[in-house]
Amino acid sequence: MSAIHEIWVYLSGSPLLALILTLGAYQLGVLAYERSGRNPLANPVLIAVSLIAGTIGAIGMPYADYFEGAQFVHFLLGTATVALAVPIYKGLGALRGRALPLSIALVAGGAVSVASAVGVAALLGADRTILGPLWAKSVTAPIAMGVAERIGFSPTLTAVFAVSTGILGAMLARFVLDAVGSKAWWQRGFALGVASHGIGTSRAFSVSEEAGTYAGLAMGLHGIAGAVLIPLAFRAAL
Amino acid sequence: MISGLVQILLFQGAGELVSNFLLPLIPGPVIGLVLLLAYLAARTRVPEDVERVGSALVQHLGLLFVPAAVGVVLFLPQLRSHGLAVALALVVSVVLTIAVPAVVLRLLARQR
Repeated sequence: MSAIHEIWVYLSGSPLLALILTLGAYQLGVLAYERSGRNPLANPVLIAVSLIAGTIGAIGMPYADYFEGAQFVHFLLGTATVALAVPIYKGLGALRGRALPLSIALVAGGAVSVASAVGVAALLGADRTILGPLWAKSVTAPIAMGVAERIGFSPTLTAVFAVSTGILGAMLARFVLDAVGSKAWWQRGFALGVASHGIGTSRAFSVSEEAGTYAGLAMGLHGIAGAVLIPLAFRAAL
Repeated sequence: MISGLVQILLFQGAGELVSNFLLPLIPGPVIGLVLLLAYLAARTRVPEDVERVGSALVQHLGLLFVPAAVGVVLFLPQLRSHGLAVALALVVSVVLTIAVPAVVLRLLARQR
């Protein structure tokens, strides 16, 4: 018993436990996604987050301790944001001749996403701590967190909203796009990238290379535009 | 592979520096993204090792969100008291944000 206890104390003091938990849970999420025939409802991130939240709750590990170890994975989010330049650059060729419609679609989508999220929540009586992060939630999580910090709101809650948005978008996209009669892969991909950034993009790539390229392009452009425009719009609205 | 990672990290570092000292409104990684994009455009191609590391990172983007998203456990009380508002706001917003660009693109593409 004491040997197990010692191993436990050692493991929970090192980043190893949180790292294994994070990667293991995500791996299980990916497996479930593949097994389900890439069903959008079996989202790997949602599965991983539920498994980890359940596990750290069950073993009584505070989130701060978990994050202490998992921060190595989290750090790479900034690196991956920079690396988005690669799919964007490759998507730029596809943009040729379509720059105007894509820009209009991006601005319309970005404005609608902020206005509808903040509007609905405000109507239903949510307070400032909830409304603030909703301003930033439609851009990819690492950018959203930076934006939230700059306009003075919790980056963590913003990340939760951004990731939830990504998951919801990836789950609902097929139904929404079919309902509005969107057929071309580039249009479907772009719309998904605007709305549900990273998670939507990986979903789009798993369905069609063309959709993925446009989704990556949309996510990147929305991130850049949002980083500049959301803080300005937020100040103007106050 | 390593040289690709080094190059991307250098751009990330440059982005953080610019963000800290020149453009505090824009997050460092976004500036790094723009700088790397400008570099790729100047070279007119993606170096193979940057491509490999970049694709790997972007492909597993979902994993990188997990630690921050588990932070949901900290906000359970607030989320519970505003559960309906948050859920509806997120769902309505994401549905509209998918639908609007898709419709805009379909209409604009048809015009030409």
